[in-house]
Amino acid sequence: MKPIRTRTARAIAVAIVAGSLTLTACSGSDNGGGKESDAKSQKDAAEQQDPVVYGDAAASTGPAKDVAGAKPGGFINVYMQSDLSHMDPGQIYVSDAGQFSNLIHRGLTNYQEDAEGNLTVVGDIATDAGQSSEGGKVWTYKLKDGIKDEDGNPITSADVRHTIERLYSKVIFDGPTFVQSWLSGNDYRKALPDGPYKGKHLPDTVLETPDDKTVIFKFSQPRPDLPQALAMAGYSIVPAKQDTKAKYDKAPAALGPYKIAEYKPGKSMKLVKNDQWDPKTDAVRHQYVDGWNFTNTVSQASQTKRLISDQGEAKNAIQFTDSVDPAQMADVVTNPETKKRTIAGYQPYVWQLTFNLDRIKDKKVRDAITYAIPSQSMVQADGGRYGGEVAGGLLAPTLPGFDPTYDPFGKLKKPNGDIEKAKELLKEAGVKEGTKLTYAYSNTPRGQAQQVILKDALEKLGFDVQSKEIDRASFYEQVGKLNNPYDLYMTGWGQDWPSPSTVITPVYDGELIADGASNYSHVNDKQVNELIQKALKQEPEEAAKTWEQAHHRIVEEINPAAPVYYSKQLQLYGSNIGGARYSTESSYINITDLYLKQP
Amino acid sequence: MLQFLIRRLTGAVVIMFLIGAFTFFLFYTVPQDFAALSCGKNCSPENLAVIRENLGLDKPLPTQFWEFMSGIVAGRDFPQGHCSAPCLGVSFESGEFVWDSIIDRFPLTLSLTVGGLVIFLILGLGSGLLAAWKRGTVVDKIVSGASIVLSSFQIYLLGPIVLGLLVYSTGIMEFPKYYNFTEEPGAWFLGMLIPWVVMATIFTAQYTRMSRSTMIEQLQEEHVRTARAKGMRQSYVFFRYAWRGSLIPIVTILGMDLSALLSGAVVTEFTFDLAGIGRLAVDSSLTKDLPVTMGVMLFGAFFILLLNILVDLAYAYIDPRVRLS
Amino acid sequence: MTTLTKTEGEKAPTGPDSFLSVRDLRVRFSTEDGIVKAVDGLSFDVERGKTLGIVGESGSGKSVTNLTVLGLHNPKTTTVEGEILLEGQDLVTTPEKEMEKLRGNKVAMIFQDPLTALSPYYTVGRQIAEPFMKHTGASKKEARDRAVEMLTKVGIPQPRTRVDDYPHQFSGGMRQRAMIAMALVCDPDLLIADEPTTALDVTVQAQILDLLKDLQQEFGSAIIFITHDLGVISDMADDLLVMYSGRAVERGSVREVLREPRHPYTWGLLSSMPRLGGSTSQPLTPIPGSPPSLLNPPSGCPFHPRCTFTDKVSGDRCSTERPTLGDGRAAACHLTAEQKQTIFIDKIQPRLR
Repeated sequence: MKPIRTRTARAIAVAIVAGSLTLTACSGSDNGGGKESDAKSQKDAAEQQDPVVYGDAAASTGPAKDVAGAKPGGFINVYMQSDLSHMDPGQIYVSDAGQFSNLIHRGLTNYQEDAEGNLTVVGDIATDAGQSSEGGKVWTYKLKDGIKDEDGNPITSADVRHTIERLYSKVIFDGPTFVQSWLSGNDYRKALPDGPYKGKHLPDTVLETPDDKTVIFKFSQPRPDLPQALAMAGYSIVPAKQDTKAKYDKAPAALGPYKIAEYKPGKSMKLVKNDQWDPKTDAVRHQYVDGWNFTNTVSQASQTKRLISDQGEAKNAIQFTDSVDPAQMADVVTNPETKKRTIAGYQPYVWQLTFNLDRIKDKKVRDAITYAIPSQSMVQADGGRYGGEVAGGLLAPTLPGFDPTYDPFGKLKKPNGDIEKAKELLKEAGVKEGTKLTYAYSNTPRGQAQQVILKDALEKLGFDVQSKEIDRASFYEQVGKLNNPYDLYMTGWGQDWPSPSTVITPVYDGELIADGASNYSHVNDKQVNELIQKALKQEPEEAAKTWEQAHHRIVEEINPAAPVYYSKQLQLYGSNIGGARYSTESSYINITDLYLKQP
Repeated sequence: MLQFLIRRLTGAVVIMFLIGAFTFFLFYTVPQDFAALSCGKNCSPENLAVIRENLGLDKPLPTQFWEFMSGIVAGRDFPQGHCSAPCLGVSFESGEFVWDSIIDRFPLTLSLTVGGLVIFLILGLGSGLLAAWKRGTVVDKIVSGASIVLSSFQIYLLGPIVLGLLVYSTGIMEFPKYYNFTEEPGAWFLGMLIPWVVMATIFTAQYTRMSRSTMIEQLQEEHVRTARAKGMRQSYVFFRYAWRGSLIPIVTILGMDLSALLSGAVVTEFTFDLAGIGRLAVDSSLTKDLPVTMGVMLFGAFFILLLNILVDLAYAYIDPRVRLS
Repeated sequence: MTTLTKTEGEKAPTGPDSFLSVRDLRVRFSTEDGIVKAVDGLSFDVERGKTLGIVGESGSGKSVTNLTVLGLHNPKTTTVEGEILLEGQDLVTTPEKEMEKLRGNKVAMIFQDPLTALSPYYTVGRQIAEPFMKHTGASKKEARDRAVEMLTKVGIPQPRTRVDDYPHQFSGGMRQRAMIAMALVCDPDLLIADEPTTALDVTVQAQILDLLKDLQQEFGSAIIFITHDLGVISDMADDLLVMYSGRAVERGSVREVLREPRHPYTWGLLSSMPRLGGSTSQPLTPIPGSPPSLLNPPSGCPFHPRCTFTDKVSGDRCSTERPTLGDGRAAACHLTAEQKQTIFIDKIQPRLR
């Protein structure tokens, strides 16, 4: 899942309105360190291709392994363009809040990442990643000793139950719904309409808490991905005593190494050490710095400028989920001093040109357009080499099973499009010159720049292209309507955890076509639907093969969306920041390992 | 005078009500599902209904209007808790009470305005008076020339230059940041200094030009000549007679500038990554956060009306002809 | 009310009993279009306790002359040559500081339009009291009492309350009375009245003129009375100076000039003026043409382009030679004394009946 329709995307727009960000796609001539960085990204991605390992009790025991050279003390300054969308775990479904969540919230499970970026799901407040039985239908978690909230209240299984049950109430409407719907079906809200707030609870046949330390999830079918789902920020613990319902979103109670000392919505936040957090209970997080000062009003351009200059407070500053301003990308990567202070890596999104299958029914036409797209130019419009990379398929390099050689449309070989082949296909399909195509795009600088490129390419094929600009705030709402009047639109989708299940299911499952749902192409293929159902019940190793099968079927046999490019990002940090690394889990800077070289 | 005030304040309340009603119906009759905007990735019909209910969008429009207007006077209740009067509703985007957001942002806007105001009034009026006093001399030419050049500058142009010189390349100063005035007055001053100076530079230039030209105009008034014919000292005539008359156009413009600044200095805020009313306004309009947009609009309208009344009071103070008629 | 008279100047006056003596005054403004010769070689005397009337069309230099006497011209754009001797002190060379002490004190001025000439921002009382405090060092209270006294003198009813009124609360006539009170507050030796009645109703005009005459009697000030209205001047002035194009063209006592004018311009002025009791069948005769440009004045006699009698002068003297103005009763014109008399009796006098 994640961004695209997040506040971050909107905030970029804000900066542009203010005139502080120039719309300049990084030119293709950026030279120098590019190759090296690509290689590193590929390597990182390669690590992400291994299915995630579920860790045992030993791996889940704290404290976390020390970062070499780390020192305690000092405050890290965090630059963000806009405020976090949510702080109530139940509402957190986007990356800015997810990254933040790792500092203050804790869940049943979490990702542990080694220095090479290999991921293991370990127990967070639970003793391990979870014990499954009955073929993956029943999952049992035992809670660690010494887990407390910021006020020193011990966390019990009742708090875990509360955490899950409150997701059924109307307080929560923005977070992930995997676990709820696995437990109680797609209309799970009916199972507990008021959540836990009026004294009702889920029956033991669904969620059982036999004692203070034990939680048992009971599903109607195998749910092998549960440990990964529970590692999402959205399933972090909300202690029953601390729950203030709607107000909790502004003042959540911390279980993690830091807590909120001061929060000014839309402006700033200060985190300080949570003295109730015991490092011995935590196999993932560190508490090197004394705290964090968030400034949530710093435009991307200004973040980049300040970090390039590396003066004063900027020495201790990081980019959190924003990336280097495309206009200043060349300055950053050509200067060795700033280059060494960067983090480059894939983001979990694949930008694709989605076909509205209700309107473009002929696969030959879709294939023709797919061949014709000048993917390389599209990348240039989004920051160039460090902003993206031409895509061959619809699964991101951050997913297990990613095959860098997979390229059924020859996009990697001909990144500027294959007009000849496209014309040939159109002729076969009998498409006349001047056939109308309606292309919808978001009124962001990127959307506008890419519109020009796409329109030009499609007109070369003889289409009469009608471009419709949509306000950025309602773009996904508009194209998410089943009867939308558009033939083509660029959409991006990212995983919820490193499994194709969180991409192929929401975007290409025909069972999930609905107004406002994320199957933007309205693809409904019996075979794909069946493969999805099969893979969801399989253990990760096996499932990987099934997902690959589904992926190939979608791309080659149906082609509901042309792969365009994989999203990448480049982040910059201050010279006094130590331990900075690309995190394969978050796709951003590894927030839990950072320290100050000179506190 | 009291009667005048009562009359103007009553009028202001009526205008505020009309603006409120107008913006409400203008915004809410736009064919747009605002619940869908707040709906995340799982935008199921169920979630949509929950959001609609939380935002109060499930009720008929007249009911929503009544709740909105009565909330301003009497406060209202939301899932987040009680929103006390003046309640401008709750943000679609952040769930924050709109009034709270505005009040939270206001100290920065006020600091920016007051600090800038002090600088540009002193420098602008001062140099304008100097130029008028020394009219035709080298001093006048330098001041007038500089003010023309500077007033053609823009904050987003000058801001980055100053930042580049003082922050990025030399590190002489920290990047501008707002500190609480009551807690850290020193940091507050240093944090606001660059924005003040940059903003004030552009305003100073404008006020220099304005005060120079109105002053020269006034110096040619007959009553000013009369005062000199009475043997009054030139400086006395300058400041007591001519200056008084030139205050009227200055106060008029100042009133407009102040109400604009108090409803948010958008460009300054974005240039220096500051979060005041201006950023709130722009953010909310980009994210279609209607309650916030409306709140900021009403807040701005309030200042326009307030400053209008203050300017009229100032007129009455300056010019007895206004006072008594 | 003469208790506050100042020490008389020790220096002997220049003229026979002249208090103010202007000699060969030249005033030039530099403008974007060039040099304007506003006053060009003007000389006159004012005697103590007497009234000098100055008449002429707008732009003839009458107001400029008097502003120059007070030093109210713009020193940056104006050059002043000649002498303005006030009790022997040359005002042309007197520094600004000294001039401030004279203005409103020894020499005061009444302006044409009291509405614009009084500041709208201060009370009448304050504006009257200000110069008094400045020049006599009186306290605020003394000055206010003096203002009330002056308002009483100029005939403002209820002066104790009106003293706190603002000019716009006064009628036109009352404003001019207040202006006069302000001018006379320091008991000046010389009062310059620049068309003081032009902006007023005819009935009010007469009242103001009477007031000025009464006050002159009481204060014994000399008055320079500037007007373009010859009707007004006959009542007010002792001597008369007719100005044209920055120069004096005729001088004499009021009686002499009005009864037997000797300059064609004065004839023109008189013929164009309506008279009470004058014959209605006799049409008014305006002076043909328009006042000359001061930027580029005509050669010779500046009036020659508008003069109907140039053919009576031999040769082209009118357009080449500037006629001079002699001392005492005189007119600057090339016509001979006989010619003037003949023309006046034959052609002008009938029109004036």
